[in-house]
Amino acid sequence: MTRTDPVEAGPPEQSASNSDLAGLPPDQPPELPRRPVRRAFLLAAPFIGLTGLLVAWEVYVEVRDLRPLTLPQPSAVLRHVAENPGFYAQNGWVTVQEAFLGFVLAFVAAVAVATAMAHSEFFERASTPVIVLMQSTPVAVLVPIFLLWFGFSPWPKILTAMLFAWVPFVANALIGLRSVDTDAHELLRSVDASRWEIYWRLRVPHSLPYLFAAGRICVGLALVGAVVGEFFNSRDGLGNAARVAQSRLLVNQLWGSVFVLAFIGVAFVLLLMAVEKRVLRWHSSQAGSHRGV
Amino acid sequence: MFDTGLLGADMLSNEDALSNELEAAPAVSFEAVSKWFRPGNRIIHALSQVSLTVAPEEFVSLIGPTGCGKSTMLRLAGGLLEADRGEVRVHDRSPVEARRQKRYGFVPQNPALLPWRTVRDNVSLLCEVNRRNSNSSPSRNSSPSSNSSAGMSDGDKLAMLDEIGLTPFLDALPQELSGGLQQRVSIARAFALGTPLLLMDEPFSALDEITRADMRYLLLDLWRSNAKTVLFVTHSIPEAVALSDRVVVLSGRPGRVTTVVDVALSRPRHADVEDSDEFRRILAEIRDALRHGWSN
Repeated sequence: MTRTDPVEAGPPEQSASNSDLAGLPPDQPPELPRRPVRRAFLLAAPFIGLTGLLVAWEVYVEVRDLRPLTLPQPSAVLRHVAENPGFYAQNGWVTVQEAFLGFVLAFVAAVAVATAMAHSEFFERASTPVIVLMQSTPVAVLVPIFLLWFGFSPWPKILTAMLFAWVPFVANALIGLRSVDTDAHELLRSVDASRWEIYWRLRVPHSLPYLFAAGRICVGLALVGAVVGEFFNSRDGLGNAARVAQSRLLVNQLWGSVFVLAFIGVAFVLLLMAVEKRVLRWHSSQAGSHRGV
Repeated sequence: MFDTGLLGADMLSNEDALSNELEAAPAVSFEAVSKWFRPGNRIIHALSQVSLTVAPEEFVSLIGPTGCGKSTMLRLAGGLLEADRGEVRVHDRSPVEARRQKRYGFVPQNPALLPWRTVRDNVSLLCEVNRRNSNSSPSRNSSPSSNSSAGMSDGDKLAMLDEIGLTPFLDALPQELSGGLQQRVSIARAFALGTPLLLMDEPFSALDEITRADMRYLLLDLWRSNAKTVLFVTHSIPEAVALSDRVVVLSGRPGRVTTVVDVALSRPRHADVEDSDEFRRILAEIRDALRHGWSN
């Protein structure tokens, strides 16, 4: 400790002069290359992809001279949607409500069941066959039963959305709640943490990455559930709009419903990703590019 | 050689008994403790009639080959496992009671930091958990040191973190730290509980040799400013000698205490202690004891 290295011990200016004394130029980090064009391209990439698809579609219809009933031009569909904002807003809102409620109910039910399964081996063994049964039953076939129970209320659609979304949620919640670090678990036991404390401080945060991954899949599934529910019997919603359009050969309305549903799905996934980015700041999935760019 | 260490500890506690009844109790005692494990349909005899007494504020290392039951001993002392035969006492309480009352700090092999908590929040994790139980801990003596519930004050925590060079990283997440820094946080977390006993399970085994050597003396500095009993599991002989007052040598399955070696090196110890002749002599003695245990 008597021989301290002045380059390390001194302030920056001093270290520079020291390396001067040694006959070497001061060591500077290389300037990072700035690539504005490259950055702009990366930012614009998603829009370029989407626009590319629409343009290719447009050109394809034009070149092959397809009838609108076979495949309409996307520009015509977009124009139709823009001309009827009230119709799509109203029906879209109905579908969004059904899907959102189904999504939330699926989440709550899945976390509750997975929590019980993670804490009780008996409950886990008892509920596994039931979950497998629900997983392998085509949910759509239950919709007529829901209609018998609830009639024209929103509940058949909400329940269908919930059942579509619930299986990925329950599977991921269970993996997440179980995937606790054994050392951290023992550490908390060493101060006699209660099950409740271990649940909140260890299991729940550990399960968040799994729940967000499930959530992204379930946004789409909940929308599918709501639309399927609307197909069977409904007076509104985008599923109903598409069904009516199909029976009356309203091609623009049929495709307009598809476009609006796709937009809703993307909007929700983006919203979820924004939340995930804030909540999972600590998780390696948020650590940027792994491609070594 | 075999029993001198144990006798020494008993004499020490007898002397203390005259002045203070509370201090009279050994920090940790094992009496003819046996332990079996039953993984699947096999039966493993992990510990066989192990006896050991650790005096308050003593630094004792457990060393031995893999599978000799040294980590098991640590977990028995922490009430994380229960002895099948014999009795373990921690400050004259059952280990489970000591655990309930948060009377020891545990340092696991891996840092086990919670990745979503900053360094500062990881250090106070153990203080936050199980508050109710620790506050109601029935203290037989009203001295503040016997009530370990509250842990260190925030000011003391910050001072300790500064002492081990963590001040620049207080708001960093664990993933931003090197392995050595993470292990510092893990040790600080145990010290922050302000308990009279530390149980450390090979805390430096995942570190590179250079970092590892630094950590020894960092731990000793902390230990000097926060007097505690330490039970330290390691498989590094130099580490055990550099740190300990006594080194307990265990032999493999079933685990038994082969020898207890006194380390009479003066304190405070610095890195140069490892160049002394006495250090090398003790090193050789332990190596010999380990070979002896192996051949049995």
